[in-house]
Amino acid sequence: MRNRATATRIVIIVWLVAAIAGDVALALAPIPPGQASDLASNESFTIQLLAEIGWPIFSAVLAALFFTLVVNRLAPPTAEVSGDALRGNTRVQTTWIAATLVIVLSLAVYGTVALAIDQPGDGISNDSASLPMPTSTSQPLEVQVIAQQWWFTYRYPTYGGIETAQLVLPVNQKIQFHVTSLDVVHSFWFYALGVKADAVPLNDNVISATPTRIGTYRIQCAELCGLWHGNMADNTAMVVSPSQFAAWIQQETTIDAPIMKYLLPYSHTYEPSPAIYGS
Amino acid sequence: MRLRIWLLVGGVVVCGVLVGFFVTRFLNPTPPQIDAITTSSTLEGRPVVDFNLTTVAAVGTAGQGGGEHPNWVGYLPTTYLKVPAGAVVHMTIDQEDGQTGLRNEFFGLVRGTVNDEMTVDGKVMGALNPALAAHTFTIPDLGVSVPLEGVAANAAANAMIVVQFEFVVPDKPGLFRWQCFVPCAAGTLYGNGGPMQTLGYMAGELQVG
Repeated sequence: MRNRATATRIVIIVWLVAAIAGDVALALAPIPPGQASDLASNESFTIQLLAEIGWPIFSAVLAALFFTLVVNRLAPPTAEVSGDALRGNTRVQTTWIAATLVIVLSLAVYGTVALAIDQPGDGISNDSASLPMPTSTSQPLEVQVIAQQWWFTYRYPTYGGIETAQLVLPVNQKIQFHVTSLDVVHSFWFYALGVKADAVPLNDNVISATPTRIGTYRIQCAELCGLWHGNMADNTAMVVSPSQFAAWIQQETTIDAPIMKYLLPYSHTYEPSPAIYGS
Repeated sequence: MRLRIWLLVGGVVVCGVLVGFFVTRFLNPTPPQIDAITTSSTLEGRPVVDFNLTTVAAVGTAGQGGGEHPNWVGYLPTTYLKVPAGAVVHMTIDQEDGQTGLRNEFFGLVRGTVNDEMTVDGKVMGALNPALAAHTFTIPDLGVSVPLEGVAANAAANAMIVVQFEFVVPDKPGLFRWQCFVPCAAGTLYGNGGPMQTLGYMAGELQVG
C-alpha cells in the first residue's frame, strides 16, 4: 500500500511538471496563424486558450493511463481466478465531472460571446451598394476578391473600381473583403490575416480584418477547383504603409486606364453569360 | 479453397492493372514538348527565341493522343514549351478561332510583355476589346497575359489573325503553368470543362532552363 501511495505521488508530481512545462511552452510558442491582423490575433488567442486548457487535461489522462498500466499491473495468475471487484471513488469522479463541466460550459460561453461580437454585419450579402471612401481607419476599405479558374483578381471600388492581379492593403486599415467567383466554388485563403472565405458564384461572401504588420504574404485557394487548383496561389500579397498604398493605387490606376472602359460596373456578384460561354 | 485463392489473386492483379492504366493513361498524361527556336537576335543582351503556336476551334487528329478529342478547342502543336533561362520569348500565335469574349474583362489588358504591348496583324496594341477575344495566353506566375483577338463571324473562310508579343523569362530554371482565361470549351457548362481542364489543349507548362 505504501508503494502504491508513493507511486501515486510520483505520477501526480510528474503530471504537474508536464502540465506546467507544456503550458509554459504553449505560452511561448508561435501559435498559428500569427499576429498579422486583428482577426489572426483573435484566432491565435483562441487556439492558445484551448491548448492551454486542454494540455493539462490531456496530460492527466496520459498520467492516469500510465498509472493504471504500471502501478495496477498484476502478475499473471497461476490459475484461473476472478479479478478483484471494481470499486468506484466518488470523490475522484465528482471532481472530474465538476471540473470538466466548468471548463466546457466556460468555453461555450466564451465561444458564444466571441461569435456574437465578432465580425458584426459580415457574412453572406446580396447588397450591391458599395461603401464610400473611408475617411478613417475605423471605416472599412472594401476590397473585392474575384476568383476564377485559376487566378484571384481584386477590385477596389473606392478607387474607381480598378482591378488588379496583386493584392495590396494598407496597414492598420480595416479591410472588408467581398469574395465572389466567376465560375466554380473556390476559397480565398489569406492565412496570415486569418481570412478564409468561400468564393461562390453569384454570392457575396463578406469577411473583415485589419492587417497590422507590413510584409509580403501568401494567398491560395483552399477549395479543390479543377486542373490548376494547386497552382492557384501567389506569394505577392502585400501589406504596406498608407503612403505606399496610395502610390500603388495611383500606379495601378494608370496601368488599368486602357481597360477601364471595358470593365463591368462594380458589383458584388457578376452574372455568367450562358448564352455565350460553352456554346 | 485453392480455386478461391487464385480467383482472389487474379482479381487483385486485374484491379491493379486497371488502376495503373487509369493513373498512367488519364491522370498523368504527358503531352509532347517543343523547344523554342533559337535565333541570332538579342534584346538588351538576352537571347531571343521564337515560338509559333496556332489556336484552332477543333484540334482534329493533330490534338493530343492522336486525336482523342478532335472536336476540342486547343493550341497546336502542343502546350508544353521549353525555353532557355533568361531568354526573350518572341511568340507568334496564329489565331484561327472565333470570338467568344472574356469572362473577366480584366484580361483584355496586355500585361507583362515587353512594353506591355502586342501586335495584332502588325498593329501595336496595349488592350483588346474583351468582346473580341477568343483566348488568352496567360502565365500567372510571370504576370504575362495577352488577349487573343478572335476571327470575326463574317470573316472569310480560313481567315486568321496573327498576334505577336515578347516576354522575358526568369534567369533561374523553373516550371510555369500557363492557360487560357476565356471559358472556351464549347458544349461544357459555362465553357469551363473538357479542354479547359485537360493539359495539352487550353493549359500547359512553360519549362524554363
